[in-house]
Amino acid sequence: MTETSLKVETVKEALSDLGTVEQVRWNRTKVTTTVEKVREAILRTQSILGCDHLVQIAAADNGKTFELIYHLSGPHRMIVALAIELPRDRPEAPTTSDLLPPAGIYERQIHDLLGITFRGHPALKRIILNEDWPANEFPLRKDWKMDPNRFYGGVHEEAR
Amino acid sequence: MTLSQRLANWARVKSPWITVFNSGACNGCDIEVIATLTPRFDVERFGIVAQGSPRHADVLIVTGPVTKKQASRLRRIWEQMPEPKYVIAMGACGASGGVFRGLYHVVDGVENVIPVDVFIAGCPPRPDEIIDGVVACLGLLKGDLDHGGKAWRQKKTVEIPPSAAKPAEVTA
Repeated sequence: MTETSLKVETVKEALSDLGTVEQVRWNRTKVTTTVEKVREAILRTQSILGCDHLVQIAAADNGKTFELIYHLSGPHRMIVALAIELPRDRPEAPTTSDLLPPAGIYERQIHDLLGITFRGHPALKRIILNEDWPANEFPLRKDWKMDPNRFYGGVHEEAR
Repeated sequence: MTLSQRLANWARVKSPWITVFNSGACNGCDIEVIATLTPRFDVERFGIVAQGSPRHADVLIVTGPVTKKQASRLRRIWEQMPEPKYVIAMGACGASGGVFRGLYHVVDGVENVIPVDVFIAGCPPRPDEIIDGVVACLGLLKGDLDHGGKAWRQKKTVEIPPSAAKPAEVTA
C-alpha cells in the first residue's frame, strides 16, 4: 500500500493559504502553520479533509522554540500533521479541546512537563508529575536542571 | 501463646498471602510475578495465594523504583496491611533504583519509603527466584515468631563517642 484515498493535492487545496504543505511520507502530510491559524486549520482538516481522529499532540523543545505537532487522521488513513512553533519567552497556544475532545488530556500533559499554557482549557491541572512538585519547574525543557538543594516532592525526610 | 494465636501463626507460615504493587516498574518484574502465579510455576501448591487487597495480605511485593508520585501511595498501602507484615523489593530497581537511579522523578529504592525485609536480585528476577525470595521471607517470619518481634534482626546503630570521631582532614 503506497497511497491513501486522500491525495496531497486535496490537502494543498484546503490548507495552502494557512501555511506550507509538504508530503513527508506516503501516508503523512506536514502542514507548517502558525499559532493564530491552528484552530482554523484543525476546523478545515475536520470538515473538508474528513479527519475525525486525533492521533496525538507531539511537543518538543528544540533549544530555541517549542514545537507542537497535531496529528490528525481519518478513514482515509492519511495523517495530516499540523506543526506550529511557539516562542520561548511566551509559550502560549489556544486550546483545541473544544474542537477535539481528546486533546484536553494531551494539553494537560504538555502543560505539566513543558510549561506551555493553553488558553481557554477548562481545567489545566497536573496529570503526570506528583502533586507536591514545585511550581514553575518543567522537567522536559532543555535548559532545566535539577536543583540538588530543592525538595521535589515524594517522601519527606522526617516520614522515613 | 494462646491456641488461636498458635493456629494463626501456623496458617501464616503454611500459606502466606501476597499482594503485588507496581511502584513505577517497567512491567518486566510484573510479568515475572504473573508467570510465578500461573500454572507453569504454580506457587499455589506451596500455599502462596495472590490477594487483590493489601488489607488481606501478609507479604507485599514491590516491583520497580518508587516514583515520587507513587511514594505516598506505597506508604499508604503498606500502612493498611495488618501486622505482621513483610515487604519484598523486587529486582535491581527495587533495591537501588536500577537504571532509573537519580532521575528527577524517583526516590530510588523501596527502602527510602518503607522498611524492606527481603531483596530479590535480577533484572527481572526469574519466577524461581521470586519463590526463593518468598520462602526466605517465611524463614524470617518463623524467626520473628521465635524471637517475638522483628527487633532481633535489626542492625544495631553503633554510637561513636564524640572524642573518637575523627575531625575532617584538611586537604590542600
